[in-house]
Amino acid sequence: MANSYLNSESKKLATWYFTVAATLFGAQLLFGLVAAIQYVVPSFLFEILDFSVARMLHINALVVWMVFAMFGAVYWLLPDETGIETVGIGFGKLLFWIFTAAITVVVLVYIFVQVGSADEMSIWFIHEGREYIEAPRWADLGITVVALGFVANLFMTGMKGNRSGIVTVLMADMIAFAGLYLTGMFFTDNISVDQFWWWWVIHLWVEATWEVYVGALAAYGLITMIGAHRKVVEMWLWIEVSMLFGSGILGMGHHYFWIGTPEYWWEIGALFSALEPLPLVAMFIHVLYDWGKTQGEEHAKGQNRSVITNKPAFTWFVINAFGNFLGAGIWGFFHTLPQVNLYTHGTQFTSAHGHLAFFGAYATILIGMMYIAVQGKNGIKVLNHTKSSIWATSMIVGGVLGMTVALTIAGYVQVLVSRAQMGATWSGYFDGQAGTWFAQGMDWRLIMGFVTFTGFLFLIKDLLSIGKATHHAR
Amino acid sequence: MNAMFEPFVDVVPSFFATLSQGPLTLTIFLHTIIVLPMIWIYRQEKARLEQEG
Amino acid sequence: MAKKSVWSDNRFWQRSAAWITGFASVLLIWLTFDTTAQISMGTDSDIQNGVTKRVPGPTVINYKITYEMNKKRQHEIPVIGGANADGTSSFQEKEKFFGRDDWSEEEATALLHLGKLGSQVKNCMNCHTLLGNGAYYAPDLTKAWLDPAWGPEGSMQAMTGKNTKEEAMAEFLQNPSQYPTHERMMPNLGITAEEAKGLVAFLKHMSTIDTNGFPRNFGKIQGAVNGK
Repeated sequence: MANSYLNSESKKLATWYFTVAATLFGAQLLFGLVAAIQYVVPSFLFEILDFSVARMLHINALVVWMVFAMFGAVYWLLPDETGIETVGIGFGKLLFWIFTAAITVVVLVYIFVQVGSADEMSIWFIHEGREYIEAPRWADLGITVVALGFVANLFMTGMKGNRSGIVTVLMADMIAFAGLYLTGMFFTDNISVDQFWWWWVIHLWVEATWEVYVGALAAYGLITMIGAHRKVVEMWLWIEVSMLFGSGILGMGHHYFWIGTPEYWWEIGALFSALEPLPLVAMFIHVLYDWGKTQGEEHAKGQNRSVITNKPAFTWFVINAFGNFLGAGIWGFFHTLPQVNLYTHGTQFTSAHGHLAFFGAYATILIGMMYIAVQGKNGIKVLNHTKSSIWATSMIVGGVLGMTVALTIAGYVQVLVSRAQMGATWSGYFDGQAGTWFAQGMDWRLIMGFVTFTGFLFLIKDLLSIGKATHHAR
Repeated sequence: MNAMFEPFVDVVPSFFATLSQGPLTLTIFLHTIIVLPMIWIYRQEKARLEQEG
Repeated sequence: MAKKSVWSDNRFWQRSAAWITGFASVLLIWLTFDTTAQISMGTDSDIQNGVTKRVPGPTVINYKITYEMNKKRQHEIPVIGGANADGTSSFQEKEKFFGRDDWSEEEATALLHLGKLGSQVKNCMNCHTLLGNGAYYAPDLTKAWLDPAWGPEGSMQAMTGKNTKEEAMAEFLQNPSQYPTHERMMPNLGITAEEAKGLVAFLKHMSTIDTNGFPRNFGKIQGAVNGK
């Protein structure tokens, strides 16, 4: 950490978290490429690194890099919000090393052990085979300890220092985030019960607690990057919390249409989840409104300079505001009603939504936080774009949008042929997969995957070098 | 009557299944009981603001 | 100066957020109690007494399973052991499973337990979908037990050289890449004969879960469709 302008230990820890997050982000993209190649060339790495393994690594790296970046972002903003150094930061650093070591072991076991025999030992030490939360049980327990330690840091700091609205929301949100993980750890022979609780983790993370977290992060970004008024920002934050939790908590019903759960979930899931895009529209409007407002105030004073103090980060925050609405909101609404979902459930439609939603709602704002950390670490007053930052942003956004469109078209074929016409059997499934539009969709998804990955390389290059560029205001 | 109220359609009778009397009855009921108490919060806060102002 | 509006007051929104979040959570917990009671696994005596459960007991593997359109519910439901006059399960007609139709509750439970463990350890969900959830690289397994491909008319029994559905499935699971149906193949996952038996029991049991008519029209449509 030579030449660092950081004098807060909490912020130093944040940069560690961001470094591991960016590395895992790369791993996510690499294994995603392997899986995408396998759709096009099924013999690629067959019985060496099979689709199931590549995909498990792809989605686990995704979840874990985001959790790392989320923890990092909280350690970053805590000193700013509370006005004090994070309480128990030494403990926080210890947890970081435990977390990183545990994840490394888990990933190596995924790659080199892959499968075991059908017994409890495999569940404890290899993986649990439950999408997104495959981590073996020993790691589950470890992750819970780390998450609770992180929450302890947050609570102790929030209670000792100045507890802003943002910190209050984060405290409530992060304790729910950590607690919900516990509901996804037990084994049951009853797959309906299994999936019922599995969604408590997945849904209540990505469609409730994570979204509220993003709201809080966006609020922090608006205050620090364009000098938006705290009172206005925090009022919006409370409105967003009302709408996100109001629609998101019972919106869980849209996962309970077909897993053996009662019929009443049809309508609970339908209307609550149909309202989930509302807060995302609100967040988008809110970001643009505040930007326009502060810039307008500047104009009224006769100033022509931009109010944005970190151009690349703010770009990512704006992309977040729109991407969240588009990926989670629109693409989610596409297939959230039961009458539609009966045919789209378990098709590439879901995959299209998954790609754009995780990217739009979470990847974007967390990349933005990494730029905020680069700015702080290099003591820069106004961080400007570089050629690389523009290339990175364009290629990553273009690549993910391209993948989403390709997967959506592939999903149409699957819904029409495999589901509506053929009734979802084995042969119906493969009839759909053989459709020309499906095959072309998979080709384009792969191409767009490479575009995204190239953008990622630009991003890493930029994050490592932008601080040294000379065209910033210091 | 038969046209107004659905015969019970869920497999297992329960409180929520009873409220499900046709398209959207249950979900609109739940939305209403979640949102309506905000009126009460509104009145309290209005009174507080008037006292402060 | 005009009076300050409640609508632009932070405290109003903060309290509303707390109320909505808290009450929605309470409703979710209440619904969870209601639902978990309904989806708890049935028992052998439920089956003996003709009680239909959303998730029946493991001994359903002794019975014939079909997936029939139900007039009242207007979608398909799993029918166990033949249908009553109203289209629901009568639990009468048995069907041999690996040569037996008298699997005891203990035996069937142990087999299902092994199969469910196997489904997780072998990572089924990261290629297939189960109850529609998982990855999209391979066919949905929700009603795989009822797939015509494995039936007497289908190609899989001849391909694997077996005479029954369950034996064909078990043989395929043990040596999947020996029986390729398409360029995209299932890899060899080191599944033993016993594990394969468990997995097939798991699949048969899963086909009896009442999934509210998902997937629609499963196995009803035969023959090629011009979807190219």
